[in-house]
Amino acid sequence: MTQPPVKSKSSLATHPVTSAIIAIVLIAAVFFVLYVPLYARATPKVGDFPFFYFYLLIYMPVLGIVLWIIVMVQRRLRPGPAPDAPAAAADPGEVAR
Amino acid sequence: MSHVNYVTFTIVLVLFLVVTLTGFAAARWRRAENMLHLDEWGLGGRSFGTFIAWFLLGGDLYTAYTFIAVPAAVFGAGAVTGFFAVSYTIMVFPIALVFLPRLWSVARVHNYVTPADFVRGRYGSRGLSLAVAFTGILALMPYIALQLVGIQAVLTVMGVGTTSTNTFVKDLPLIIAFLILAVFTYVSGLRAPALIAFIKDTLVYLMIIVAVLYIPTRIGGWGHIFAAGQAHLKAISPTTHKPNGVFIPISGNSQLAFSTLALGSALALFCYPHAVTAVLSTKRRDVIKRNMALLPLYSIMLAFIALLGYMAVADKTTAANVKKAGNAQLAVPYLFQHLFPSWFTGIAFSAIVIGALVPAAIMSIAAANLFTRNIFREFFKPDASPALQTRMSQWVSLVVKLGALLFAVELPHTFSINLQLLGGIWILETFPALVFGLFTRWLDRWALLAGWLGGMVFGTIAAYKVATPTTSHWAGSVDIEFGHTVYIGLSAVILNLAIAVVLTLILRAARVPAGADETRPHQYTDDPAAAPVPVPVTPGT
Repeated sequence: MTQPPVKSKSSLATHPVTSAIIAIVLIAAVFFVLYVPLYARATPKVGDFPFFYFYLLIYMPVLGIVLWIIVMVQRRLRPGPAPDAPAAAADPGEVAR
Repeated sequence: MSHVNYVTFTIVLVLFLVVTLTGFAAARWRRAENMLHLDEWGLGGRSFGTFIAWFLLGGDLYTAYTFIAVPAAVFGAGAVTGFFAVSYTIMVFPIALVFLPRLWSVARVHNYVTPADFVRGRYGSRGLSLAVAFTGILALMPYIALQLVGIQAVLTVMGVGTTSTNTFVKDLPLIIAFLILAVFTYVSGLRAPALIAFIKDTLVYLMIIVAVLYIPTRIGGWGHIFAAGQAHLKAISPTTHKPNGVFIPISGNSQLAFSTLALGSALALFCYPHAVTAVLSTKRRDVIKRNMALLPLYSIMLAFIALLGYMAVADKTTAANVKKAGNAQLAVPYLFQHLFPSWFTGIAFSAIVIGALVPAAIMSIAAANLFTRNIFREFFKPDASPALQTRMSQWVSLVVKLGALLFAVELPHTFSINLQLLGGIWILETFPALVFGLFTRWLDRWALLAGWLGGMVFGTIAAYKVATPTTSHWAGSVDIEFGHTVYIGLSAVILNLAIAVVLTLILRAARVPAGADETRPHQYTDDPAAAPVPVPVTPGT
């Protein structure tokens, strides 16, 4: 393989702990809906909704909020040209907006 | 059914006219200096921000066929084959958040327009790129045709065009609607569906919010709706001598079918070229990321649309109408027609019709771009100018839509439905080359091609062999592997990957050249603010 070495440091390299937490949260987000035995039950009913249907319905706004937080955190971590400098200041996206 | 409700019909007609005008006006919206560039016609100038992208992606991914087919499946068979769509649209976003930003970045740097462009650049393989392009076009054609089936369901319930026995006259309204769609897509490119998506989504949200608040009060509340659904699904079908469906997947096999269908569909969604088109039309990397957090809002709507299936069961008149027509896809149109005043039915029906136009336009653009970039330019005219590529795509989008129209009008609907089901399995076979390729070059291009072929053949044969007592072939998208009920797409892509890994090891050992890779690791995380200028690859890097 002729892959050149990574030049700019990825956020993974500069923030290993935060990146690991993000990875775990994303895997959990998939797992808790993929593993059906967790919620394939009729009870406890929430209002008139069987638990199975309620769970999937409530999952979506929660997921939206969790993903939004992840995106915001990743934004702060974004590697700039100098990874040690505050990333937000070097972000051209803020300037453009 | 032969009498037309003129209030409903007029509202649909008026809203359709508004959409038509919008479609043509879109050509002037956010206009660029040089429109004869595929980035303009085919990707809306790669300029869309979070807000527009949210509507565009939502309009693109949650299609009219979804509004018709998901509740129809819930109506007919309940959770496993219907409500899995909700679980699938949950999973898709955390998964896509991992790889879509990388696809956006590398496509931005290298000016890729299609997923096959990326595969070409990454693996330096025309064969693999052709396979991805071919699969994309193949999967999109029936998908476009199904959008028409969605429109047809509405027209049927409205009583429009069903009186004549002549196919052409019978489908005339559909043909006219589609021709108009074809022309404004030709003129405005991706700007048309982007602008129309605002109208579509406003109508869809209106329709679904009103339906969810109002219908339960009319038919005895949510408790009754779920009870009716459960009773219907428990009942033994006279034809299959098994229960009609599954209300809550409790048995191991139904749970496995539910989760593999959801996972497989989630992995497949952003391999679809029309999804990639919408993703690449955005202006910044963060736009994609933010949308992964915002799009679950649409999934909430989808969940309620799915529950319309149980509402149709609970409403006796609707259930009887659907039974008489013998077509579960009419469940939602009949439900609205029965429970709402004509004018609101008109709004709901317009939402479905317009909801078909947006994805159909994007899909035809995506298919046209694939043809132009990865077949025409790659194999016939490597020096095609941007203007020629744009012209070519414009014409191909027309051809694609006419093809889809023929599909919908001439062939039985089951044919389109089976093909779309297959399309999902097929498109999943491009996942290893596309998504794994975003992270690693380890897999060999020839191994990927062989894996793709293996997955395609296995998936097609397996889907062909699925039978129920009422249908001899193509009866569904799950089959039994080693005693477990699994989504065929998922088993096919696992086979695909296994072939790719084993062959990669063999080819590596045989020292077969890996091909040129024009991408660089940092380009997968780059976030260039300016629209891309063609960057020549510096030799020797």
